[in-house]
Amino acid sequence: MSEVRYLKAVNQALYDAMEADDTVFVIGEDVGAAGGPFKATRGLLERFGPGRVYDAPIAEAVIAGVAVGAAMTGMRPVAEIMFMDFITLAMDQIVNQAAKARSMFGGQASLPLVIRAPHGGGLSAGPQHSQCLEAWFAHVPGLKVVCPANAADAYGLIRSAIDDPDPVIVVENKTLYAAKSELPDDPQAVPIGKATISRPGRDVTVVTYGAMVREALTAADQLTIEGVEIEVLDLRSIQPWDEAMVVSSLARTHRLVVAHEAVEAFGVGAEVVARMADIGFDELDAPIIRVGAPFAPSPFAKALEAAYRPDASDIVRAVRRTLA
Amino acid sequence: MGADVLMPQLVMPKLGLTMTEGVLLEWHVSAGDVFRAGDMLFVVETDKVANEIQADTDGIIDELLVEEGDIVPVGMPLATLKGGRVSELSEKVISTVEAAVSAVASEPRQFVKDSDSGRIVSTPLARKRAREMGVDLSRVAGSGPGGRIKVDDLGHLGDPIAQEMRRLPSEHGLQAQEIRPSAARLATARRVSAAKTNVPHFYITQDVEVSALQVFRATINERSPGIRISVTHLLIKALGVAMAELPTTNRIWVDDKILAFNQVDIGMVTETVDGLRVPIIRDAGRRTLEEVAIDARTLASRAQEDSLTQKEVGGGSVSISNVGMFGASSLTPIINPPQAMILGVGSEQALFRPDEAGHPFLHKEICLTLACDHRVHDGADAARLLARLARILKNPSVSM
Amino acid sequence: MSVVIGEMLIKSSSLQSLYRQMLLIRRAEERLQKLFADGDVPGFLHLSIGQEAVAVGISSVLGVADTVSSNHRGHGHALAKGVALSGFFAEILGRADGVCRGRGGSMHVADLSIGMLGANGIVGAGMPITTGSALALKMKGAGNIAAVYFGDGALAEGVIHECFNLTSLWALPVLFVCENNGWSEFSPTERQLATNLEKLSASFSIAFSSVDGNDVVAVADQAGKFVNEMRDMPSPRVIECQTTRIRGHFEGDPQDYRDKEEMSMMSERDPIARARSQLLAEGLSDLWFEQLHAEVDSEIDVALNLAKRSPEPTIDSLVADVYTPRLGVS
Repeated sequence: MSEVRYLKAVNQALYDAMEADDTVFVIGEDVGAAGGPFKATRGLLERFGPGRVYDAPIAEAVIAGVAVGAAMTGMRPVAEIMFMDFITLAMDQIVNQAAKARSMFGGQASLPLVIRAPHGGGLSAGPQHSQCLEAWFAHVPGLKVVCPANAADAYGLIRSAIDDPDPVIVVENKTLYAAKSELPDDPQAVPIGKATISRPGRDVTVVTYGAMVREALTAADQLTIEGVEIEVLDLRSIQPWDEAMVVSSLARTHRLVVAHEAVEAFGVGAEVVARMADIGFDELDAPIIRVGAPFAPSPFAKALEAAYRPDASDIVRAVRRTLA
Repeated sequence: MGADVLMPQLVMPKLGLTMTEGVLLEWHVSAGDVFRAGDMLFVVETDKVANEIQADTDGIIDELLVEEGDIVPVGMPLATLKGGRVSELSEKVISTVEAAVSAVASEPRQFVKDSDSGRIVSTPLARKRAREMGVDLSRVAGSGPGGRIKVDDLGHLGDPIAQEMRRLPSEHGLQAQEIRPSAARLATARRVSAAKTNVPHFYITQDVEVSALQVFRATINERSPGIRISVTHLLIKALGVAMAELPTTNRIWVDDKILAFNQVDIGMVTETVDGLRVPIIRDAGRRTLEEVAIDARTLASRAQEDSLTQKEVGGGSVSISNVGMFGASSLTPIINPPQAMILGVGSEQALFRPDEAGHPFLHKEICLTLACDHRVHDGADAARLLARLARILKNPSVSM
Repeated sequence: MSVVIGEMLIKSSSLQSLYRQMLLIRRAEERLQKLFADGDVPGFLHLSIGQEAVAVGISSVLGVADTVSSNHRGHGHALAKGVALSGFFAEILGRADGVCRGRGGSMHVADLSIGMLGANGIVGAGMPITTGSALALKMKGAGNIAAVYFGDGALAEGVIHECFNLTSLWALPVLFVCENNGWSEFSPTERQLATNLEKLSASFSIAFSSVDGNDVVAVADQAGKFVNEMRDMPSPRVIECQTTRIRGHFEGDPQDYRDKEEMSMMSERDPIARARSQLLAEGLSDLWFEQLHAEVDSEIDVALNLAKRSPEPTIDSLVADVYTPRLGVS
């Protein structure tokens, strides 16, 4: 067990997957010689050569399309979209092709492809380099979406995503890349669709994922002082998501807050809330409250962005509301 | 994203160390009222005592959050105030925003629309639990925003027996009228339920010859007609003496600790039109019979007037409940926590018992039943106390 | 049914085979046209009548391990690549025994077991898929190639530039097959595109050839030449086949935007009529054609009857293949 940066875990997962399976290759802008815009693919070109590590031109549609066609032809491509915002240019290949191929072709095809996409703000990167768009993909039947919050889950979910027979969007929060957390010496795959309880608590369930897990844990520390124990539930997978674990936590706490960095309206939280209002209705002893970004593009100015991004204090406030 | 704004509130005050909740008996203000320091705001009943709560400073009532008769946990909001002068308001009245902070809504309140004003607002969980327990939510005070009923507000209203009872009328075609109990009745109901559930009772009974006591009483009353000594007064004094002589019996059990008292304070269970009250006769062992009697009479009439103060009801390790005047031969009572004993007294019975020669001899006896908290007392202690009491009652002129 | 032809010269016996395939596609589509008119085909139906020589000519030089990706007008591409006729019909009728179990329909006929990566409802979308398939084939190193069919209407789509660039840059074995019928849906392509395919190919340094797309031998000849080069040395090629869309953009299109002169030229340009003339000149008898037509019609009858007897898909199959079932994974 050692403390490693999140980015190192991503890199290790790609490395190990490529070692384990010759059909795994990576493709993306600057992933080869440059080692990736965030250095997630550092060292892969040196180890596996240009036949497995493809420095693609700035052409997101064909990067995604290559992943689709190669997956149809027996490979396990891992495509990187430099910023999740740029995935808009690849939407046809992801949404109309990758997601639908299996069902549309009557179950003939499995498309084992992975698309890694860094999301999230906090870097003053502005409206087109900061978005959290995971809800779009979670809305499309045929896609899976994961969003690891720490090094061990980043490793484990990327390994599972590459192993998965279907298209998986791996969403990585940029602000987590430099964060250190524990990675076992022999890290294991983390099953897609299984949430985890990052911190148990009896009073309020806080469902979250990605970088907001840290904020929720900070909120938990603050609330403890007030005698309030929140249960922090890290979804890890957004599609499919572990509604069994959420409803079972809700059945203990009877109060629910759902928090994410993405815009609150029509987001992942809305889905979680709607399902819990249905299958968890009789467990609710308070309104369910969402925490998310306001309905505005992610701003550039530091002060604006700080106000824009939800944080621990927003979670604390939401938790208090559920206890009123 | 926006700073917390804590709304100033009136909260249920904590009026004694062991107080966890109170009945909001009466509002003296309503929404929109302007009040001045010293104005009476509301009345809270605890331990069967009505406490008048006054404002220590000026303010304006925004919204009343609970209704008269509602049981409210300590620290929970009773009303919201306009303006932000929390610090100026009385610590007693406003109190403990900190204590309640986790339970205080920081968001603007959402008001029930006029058209929905008749609707009972409750959480899904509270509704489900209320259904299971057979609780009528219209009788429950909600502690959530806008009076929303949460599951905790149900307390232990919904016991299975109540559920059964509620089913009976409709299933058997019986006519039954549902009566909303008074706040005091509700408080009594909850107290005795808790006492009978939480205190491990045991009982010890003895028939005591009281012929001598009767003579003693008649003599005193003849000598000082103004005092009007009753059997109850004699029992209080006698029990005070007995317990003073056996100081280990003057103890109670609180929070896994034993509290030993150095004077014998005895509660006197008093029936009023509005339920039972238990005023306390202080130091019954050492004070004279006359002092005890005068005290008991004063407190009894204050109980009837419903004007007992908090000081007059707290404390003591034992109470006496006398139902002799109704002809009942004995009473097996329920302890009034945190006290550890209660003495049930039946009516005087005349009966023949064999004397030493085996001839029938007319006895006048009363049946005393001592209920004890087994956590503090064992059977032998209780038997010893009851024997001592019997001896005093048989020889009143010597002991009292 | 398709045969791999490694030589440039197409023998007359092969022309007979190519003719038969074109005829099969034509007769199959004519039956669909009738079924559509009778209301038995749900949804859209884009017929490739008049363009059969391209599909048949290209497929004649491809093997099972080569892949093709197609577009909305893809019936001929699918049948020429070897998709079973009864499964093809059943799919277009929306039946359980369709090649895609009735979930794709006319615009999504696919059979991955023979390298048919699917027709496509999105104009131009087959190009990036084929690019990826070609990369995979190149990585496998067995000399297989990937072909993509698209119309001249797709030339205005952005992805063609990404794909031309990438395949040229990485020397990927993609055979870009443009079926130039002059129409971008309901508009003439000359009003849609500021350049042409030859110039586009040249800008990306991709070898280009334009052929008479109604001459099956010419198509097969040029395709064979290109594919042989690509197998030896992977790199992309563009073949532009000038062809004719005899029917409308889809069935029910009145084609009032096309002038009478163009419509009257159609029979002259019919690839099947031209192949028949060639075969007659080579000495085949009318009887041979009569027998062949009867044989093809009978084959279609059998397949269509089979398709019609196939049940509607069961409702529980609706969500069956959204994801791949995994043992031990719920």
